[in-house]
Amino acid sequence: MTDRAKTDPAMTHSKRLRRATTLVGITVGLGLTLNAAPAWATSTTPGARALVPGVKVEVAPAPGSGPAAAPNALDDSALRYYARIGDVERMEAEIARLRALDPGWEPPKDLFTPQAAGPGVDESPFWSLVSAGKFAEARAAIAEQRRQTPSWQPSAKLLQELDVAEGASRLRGASDTKRWQDVIDAAAAQPEAVACNRLDNAWRLAEAYAELKQFDRAFDRYKTIVSQCPRAKERRDTIFKASRHLSPEQLRELTAIGATANPAAGEDYSAVRTVEGELETGRLLEKLGNPKAGPLSVADLARAEQTIRDKQDADGAIALGWYFQRQKKHADAQRWFAEANGWTPSDKAAEGLILALAALGKKAEAREAGAPWQGKSGRVDQALKAVTTPPTRAASGGNAASGGGTPGQSALSAALARDDFAGCLAAIQQMLAHSRPTAALLQQRGWCLLELKRPTEAEAAFAEAQALAAREPAKATGKPTKSTGLRDPNDPTLDESATPAQENAYGQAVARLATGDVTGLSRDLPRTNMTAKQKAEIRASLLATEAGRALEDKRYRDVLRLLDARKELTTEPRNLSILRGWALYNLKRLDEAHALFKSIDDRLSTEESREALSTTVKTMYHDW
Amino acid sequence: MSGRSHRVRKALLPGLLVRGALLAATLALGGCFGWVDNNLTQSPTPWRRVQPADLPVTLPANPKFPIVAARARTTGAIYSSYNVVLGNPTLLPGENRLSIDVHTLPDSPLGMFVQPPRVFPVPLYSTETLAETLAKEFPGLKTKVADSARRNRYGDYDFALAQDATNTCVLAWQLISDHDRTLPRRIEAIRLEYRVCGTERNPRALLQPFDNLVLTLPDAVLEIDDLTRF
Repeated sequence: MTDRAKTDPAMTHSKRLRRATTLVGITVGLGLTLNAAPAWATSTTPGARALVPGVKVEVAPAPGSGPAAAPNALDDSALRYYARIGDVERMEAEIARLRALDPGWEPPKDLFTPQAAGPGVDESPFWSLVSAGKFAEARAAIAEQRRQTPSWQPSAKLLQELDVAEGASRLRGASDTKRWQDVIDAAAAQPEAVACNRLDNAWRLAEAYAELKQFDRAFDRYKTIVSQCPRAKERRDTIFKASRHLSPEQLRELTAIGATANPAAGEDYSAVRTVEGELETGRLLEKLGNPKAGPLSVADLARAEQTIRDKQDADGAIALGWYFQRQKKHADAQRWFAEANGWTPSDKAAEGLILALAALGKKAEAREAGAPWQGKSGRVDQALKAVTTPPTRAASGGNAASGGGTPGQSALSAALARDDFAGCLAAIQQMLAHSRPTAALLQQRGWCLLELKRPTEAEAAFAEAQALAAREPAKATGKPTKSTGLRDPNDPTLDESATPAQENAYGQAVARLATGDVTGLSRDLPRTNMTAKQKAEIRASLLATEAGRALEDKRYRDVLRLLDARKELTTEPRNLSILRGWALYNLKRLDEAHALFKSIDDRLSTEESREALSTTVKTMYHDW
Repeated sequence: MSGRSHRVRKALLPGLLVRGALLAATLALGGCFGWVDNNLTQSPTPWRRVQPADLPVTLPANPKFPIVAARARTTGAIYSSYNVVLGNPTLLPGENRLSIDVHTLPDSPLGMFVQPPRVFPVPLYSTETLAETLAKEFPGLKTKVADSARRNRYGDYDFALAQDATNTCVLAWQLISDHDRTLPRRIEAIRLEYRVCGTERNPRALLQPFDNLVLTLPDAVLEIDDLTRF
């Protein structure tokens, strides 16, 4: 729970901000990779185009106006531009496009020959401006050129690209600010802006329909993409995108279309066929992890188990373990936690294993399972309390301690073993009704309140426990009192096991983190009585939260600074690495962002990592 | 067509120039470029603890729902938000709370140009967002939106009910935006949201603190019957 509380805010920020900033640094690009451009991706070129708002220039043959001169000749100005700047990929795409328009057309032989300066005007500067997304400047430059050379007309291709790039920019702006109807209007005004070569825009259009609850239209857009865009990877990514909005039946249809429709030579669509299975597995795992989702069917459960076993997916095995633990099938839970721990040892797997074994009454084995992580992992230390101290220790200060059979005591153990935190509260209430409160019992109440997302009350419970602990005799806490006020938490030679006072202070800090009291906690942290390890953990969480805020404020250098500082305290989790990647991306350090996103995606590919990688690649290659 | 557009543009140009010049002059005269820069950071500040006495609201004493803690934060120069956490006698997840967002008008002409995004949506809820919120606030409980509004000191409010075998919860929400009689000129709107779970079956008992709360903002907010009381 505490991990979630620590990192979720940062991720939320990152995701929201990434949507908002993704396109800030993206040059709009010409997007001319029209490999075998489908019919819906092209449009006729109108005869008149806006140079500046309100001013239109007729594109008509004019003496000395270059490629636009011959009425029936294809406009090869873009082709010549790509040849001149050496962009072979786009040049080939343009050749393919022109051949699609006129099968008899051949590329000019003088494509790579420097064009003699004649009456025509070199359009390269205008193309460069359009490439850089400087549309207003491009229009101004064209207008100025026309003023200087009245006989010159810009090529139709240049004006068309300018229109499309502007339309695409409007669409993305509307999408970033969630003006969904404007997204649809922008796409209607400029259909080429949502062509295959601008796939991100096409996704945004489909998303706009979905957000407006026009699911049939969203489905139609996704269908168009997976049937018309030739690349298998794009079709696959589209189905993943669509999974947020469409029903399983629609996704099934989409997958079938994507795997078979209009196959392009050299493309392997087998990866498209596997999407459905991957989505299904994802859904099953999500259901496994959701306590409210109810039990899975026998078939679903078998499928999930098989998939997890095949992939040796430790996270999946842990999810399965918790699923069985909730179902009170503790032996099955133990088996899956043990599998997970075998595949990839982790404190999360150990935590589950301890609690499953505890529920089976195998306390010695539970302690053994937790031994490698004891003192190194808060979650394991917490879980070990279920088989060592808390329930008994919880009662140790009051009358309940000696008896060992206080009403609620076994209920508390049982509730903790099955992660039933409402049950934990109920048991503690029952115990408090029969005995005096103890510091340990109030502390346990604090942890359970935290799990129930009631951090303010949790903070108060820890504070109360703190006050009570100060009044309790030493034996009641089971800890030597002399150590509390004399230890130097920064002394690395000291034993790091926390005193009850430090546990309470730590609990309060975790609760304050959950309430968002970042400023107050930062201020109080140096004076707080916690172990060095506890302080480092809280400090790391504060830095993560601050990094999230910095990203939201677009202080990208600060993001890196804060994450670097955090990295000195502890390892960087995946979500913060993605946050770091977006900071690098927005600082235009694209190579570093790409390397980071790729290494994350190579380890475990998720929708988030795929999107990050794809966005970065598109920006690097101006492929929007 | 193009000629017409050209004319329109020409006609608009002087107006735009004048407006731009006015803005530049205002900024320059005020020496406020720094102010603009400061106010461009429009994400909310972190929450900070405040004493109940510093809240702009007084709640009737209720031993079942005491104030556990209160926090405040600001967004830009015009939004002040308060979160009052109340005691929760149930075993249910989630905090009982009263949230208050005060939307004030910018206190300078410059503020008109640089405003943070609104911290609450208007309308406060749609059918969809309400369903999402209720599912999030009261997981596992059966929920129902009240057919008719209730009224507290500041006007009508809507609420929804959530129940299971042992607990009852309410979510009430209210937008105070009546400038004719309730709100002072400096305040654009006040949004209140109240979420409380208790062990009573009768939701009226849960709504009692919300029905009787008193806003204590520096600029007087009038109650709806202030003008008819005498």
